[in-house]
Amino acid sequence: MSPRLLALVPSAVAINLAIGFIVNQVGLPLYLDSVGTVLTSALAGPLPGLITGLVSQSVRSLYEGFIWLPFGAVQALIALLAALAARRGGFRTVPLAAGWGMGVGLAAGALSALISFFVFKGVTATGVTAVTLALTRLGLSTAQAVTAASLGTDVLDKTIVFSLVGITLRALPQRVLGRYEWARRALGR
Amino acid sequence: MFAVTGGIAVLAFLLPAPRGPVVLYAAVLALSLVVGEGRSALRAIRVCLPLWILLALLLGLSPGGERQWIGPLSLSRGGLAAALAQGARLGAVATVSLALFAGFDPSRFLDAVAERGWSFHAGYLLVATLQAVPRFRHRAAMILEAQRARGLRFRGSPLRRARALVPLTLPLVLGMLSEVDDRAMALETRGVDARVPRTSLRSPPDSLPDRIIRWAMPVLVLAALVWRLAG
Repeated sequence: MSPRLLALVPSAVAINLAIGFIVNQVGLPLYLDSVGTVLTSALAGPLPGLITGLVSQSVRSLYEGFIWLPFGAVQALIALLAALAARRGGFRTVPLAAGWGMGVGLAAGALSALISFFVFKGVTATGVTAVTLALTRLGLSTAQAVTAASLGTDVLDKTIVFSLVGITLRALPQRVLGRYEWARRALGR
Repeated sequence: MFAVTGGIAVLAFLLPAPRGPVVLYAAVLALSLVVGEGRSALRAIRVCLPLWILLALLLGLSPGGERQWIGPLSLSRGGLAAALAQGARLGAVATVSLALFAGFDPSRFLDAVAERGWSFHAGYLLVATLQAVPRFRHRAAMILEAQRARGLRFRGSPLRRARALVPLTLPLVLGMLSEVDDRAMALETRGVDARVPRTSLRSPPDSLPDRIIRWAMPVLVLAALVWRLAG
């Protein structure tokens, strides 16, 4: 790993965790804990993105107990799909980035639902579980409720994450963009 | 400690429910008190408490099966047993991992990585991240205060709150990318790309109990796996 990537990955992981603090203060029912992962994939490709996602989940697990470690698979999926989006110029415009975010949100939500249901019996983050509980009271089975809650939250979350990364990439000066081989392709230049 | 944490995480899901995870959690709680990590056990309870309540509600309220009245609620016995097992699994894993974090010394870890000839990059990634997280959280708080002082309002409708995310996150991310340049140069100057093996100034001790635990945990996990498959 080059010194630049070795410096980028820990900072991107810290961004993943620090944005959670901002989201809490703003009071939105979102995570936005993959901004650093998506940004790294868009700047440097799938492998650094994958490492960022996995390290991010491991470090988060260190702070909050290793119970959330299985969701590392979701971070890995997001990193790979974000790299695919970057390769296809998916961050060319903010609406296009948001569209990719929706697609990634669907995939991440489906995987997240599988992990939530089979590993955690449907009980994960408090907000999502509250939605799951409400949906089961409406007559949905636990599996259906977990899937609906995960898809709903993940689609919204990843749409915002991809939009934020799209805005960030467009705000970067040419000098910085030139240092990352995937950045120009991500912006369709 | 990494071996103990990994071993207990695997055992929590390997031992037969509901008795296995409950006994494991009780053993982890007792062990944490014996080794003076009672605070980690308490922190784990704080992390797990909302999850335990939600587990009892979600699985206990599931329809069908034998019912048990608790106050005004008719709960499924099977659901409650599943909630108990899952709650104990989460409790055991959270307790042991928070104890690991409480006793983790980054510089000792890097010394041990160098001593064993493991990848310096992997060790550096973990340690640099642990050091970066509080720094970035502090920076996020400063940006929040600065934007609030400039008149940014992030209360009100969800749309207004979502709009506030851009001026709050953009400075954080752009600042991070400019810091990456400085750090990359510092790492290059310190020979992070060098192909020669790194050495540590202080070799961390590797005592006999440490070695025994490192070997005993995989054996214990393997024994549990064989027992489950045979049973």
